[in-house]
Amino acid sequence: MTKHCETFEHTADLGLEARADSPAELLEALGEGLYAQICQPRDIRLRQKRRVQVAAEGAASPRGHEPDAAALELLVADFLRELLRLFHLERFLVGRVRVERCDETAVAAEVAGESYDPARHELGLEIKAVTYHQLKVARDRSGWLARVILDI
Amino acid sequence: MAERAKITMERIDQYRWRIPKGTRPGMRVDGVIYASDKLMEHIRGEQAAEQVANVATLPGIVRASLAMPDIHWGYGFCIGGVAAMDIDQGGVVSPGGVGYDINCGVRLLRSDLTEAQVRPRMKELVDQLFRDVPCGVGVGGSLRLSDKQLRQVCLKGAAYVAELGLADEEDLACTEAGGCLEGADPDAVQPAAYKRGNDQCGTLGSGNHFAEIQLVEEIYDEKAAAAMGLAEGGVAVMIHSGSRGFGYQICDDAIKALRNAPRKFGIELPDRQLVCAPVESPEGRRYLGAMRAAANYAWANRQALAHLVRKALAHQMKASVTSLGLRQVYDVAHNIAKIETHELDGQLRRLCVHRKGATRAFGPGHPELPARYRDIGQPVLIPGDMGTASYVLAGTAEAMARTFGSTCHGAGRVLSRAAAIRAARGRQLEKELAEAGVIVRARGRTGLAEEQPDAYKDVHEVVETVHAAGLSRKVARLKPMGVIKG
Repeated sequence: MTKHCETFEHTADLGLEARADSPAELLEALGEGLYAQICQPRDIRLRQKRRVQVAAEGAASPRGHEPDAAALELLVADFLRELLRLFHLERFLVGRVRVERCDETAVAAEVAGESYDPARHELGLEIKAVTYHQLKVARDRSGWLARVILDI
Repeated sequence: MAERAKITMERIDQYRWRIPKGTRPGMRVDGVIYASDKLMEHIRGEQAAEQVANVATLPGIVRASLAMPDIHWGYGFCIGGVAAMDIDQGGVVSPGGVGYDINCGVRLLRSDLTEAQVRPRMKELVDQLFRDVPCGVGVGGSLRLSDKQLRQVCLKGAAYVAELGLADEEDLACTEAGGCLEGADPDAVQPAAYKRGNDQCGTLGSGNHFAEIQLVEEIYDEKAAAAMGLAEGGVAVMIHSGSRGFGYQICDDAIKALRNAPRKFGIELPDRQLVCAPVESPEGRRYLGAMRAAANYAWANRQALAHLVRKALAHQMKASVTSLGLRQVYDVAHNIAKIETHELDGQLRRLCVHRKGATRAFGPGHPELPARYRDIGQPVLIPGDMGTASYVLAGTAEAMARTFGSTCHGAGRVLSRAAAIRAARGRQLEKELAEAGVIVRARGRTGLAEEQPDAYKDVHEVVETVHAAGLSRKVARLKPMGVIKG
């Protein structure tokens, strides 16, 4: 299975649902899916790189362990919040997300994209925030699944 | 989507439904939904009632977890919810009970213009507004504020904009809370919020935010309308916006900062998005300090927007703002938490009243109302969808007694944004609206489709319900003529 992300409906807001073989790919799919709502991915050139890191709160498990679904939920929300900050604070549009590390203590990723240019980028949704409402990460036979609701 | 829990709803009377206290474990009070039979059909299909029940579990909640007729499914709290917590009984404040767009609200300006004067020039007027009022995602305004100036906005609200010469005394007097909540704490605001807020004061934003030229189509209460300066055939301008990225960031930071507070204070939550802390705790005080800063930012924003709107109209009508009589009717917040004193079982109690998608509707005689509205009750501004109508209501004694002086805030969505876009496929909404007498200019690739009239509940039904239930009374109906959207 390859990673993918699609949207689901919620009356006032918008949900992202991703599937992937590993937690790292799950985060990549969600991150790229998040930015696809902000701007058409084909319009985002991969000209600059940024690093995004998130540490889990009070995590105890040793580094390198694959996180369980419950621990991953908060990491997913925090990771997407950090990604969204790139646009909110720096007007940086993310076109590609590569997760280099994803375990119970932290997520580290390298993202590629470029600064927002009104002449080339038509912005779609204004995403106010990533919510914790009905946030879900689960693992089943076919891999990993995540659902996140965005406030728009 | 997710598994739907069965929620019992018992009819109390024609417009009230009860979710009894025992419906969910941990409920401290009943849930009460105000809705007509017609509106109830939609409410039953959503998870909003479940959210009303969840809010009833929060510490300190008194009377009931209330929902207005425009209730719809939110995150954590439903949209259209009112929850009052007794501060002296460990009552909590919850950022989710306010929402991301802190002090999203509505401002109404009246004018001496008539339909005959503006209708023939509506396209030019809307174009002028679209040029002069910054709107859309990622669009900054002309007012650049340093961190030091932003701290002043946090502390002073609309009064800071008045210092810049963009407001008059009457504007401030005719704004909820005078356009400034006391107790804002600029130190409780994180650097990221300052960064997002520095160029967004005086910008409309996107989504459901708008500025609209409206025709006063019908007056229901002559005395109240006269006090507000509204007459049939007159022209008014409505502005709907909030605290922009500044407020979203403050809410986002607070929800993360309060993540461990429920455990610390022994509060069990049915939904993470309901995170909260006692009002009288360092965590609660810190959130309230930051939230008030955002609320004040929103009042400064709508004040700056009002200035831009006035200038644009005056320019296009080749007249002065004064000669057009563009005076402020009122400005209301509909996403906010406030410390208010209300009578409960014969005693005055200090409550933290959350209004998330609900409008304050103080009745006649309330000391917070300006002299001109003291006898008629607080003006309540209800924006409808861009093709239908908006309403001006007045607060009532009944609302004071039942809903902590609160009423509905708008039409409330029925279609998700994606469904609205699907429904608009193949249609020319702009043309349809123009044929119906509404000139629209919108930015963004899907904004107009998402905000089309069919995406919303019938605003008439919502307003008739709050009127009949006594939560506010109808004063005037306003019909859109020209709209700008982000």
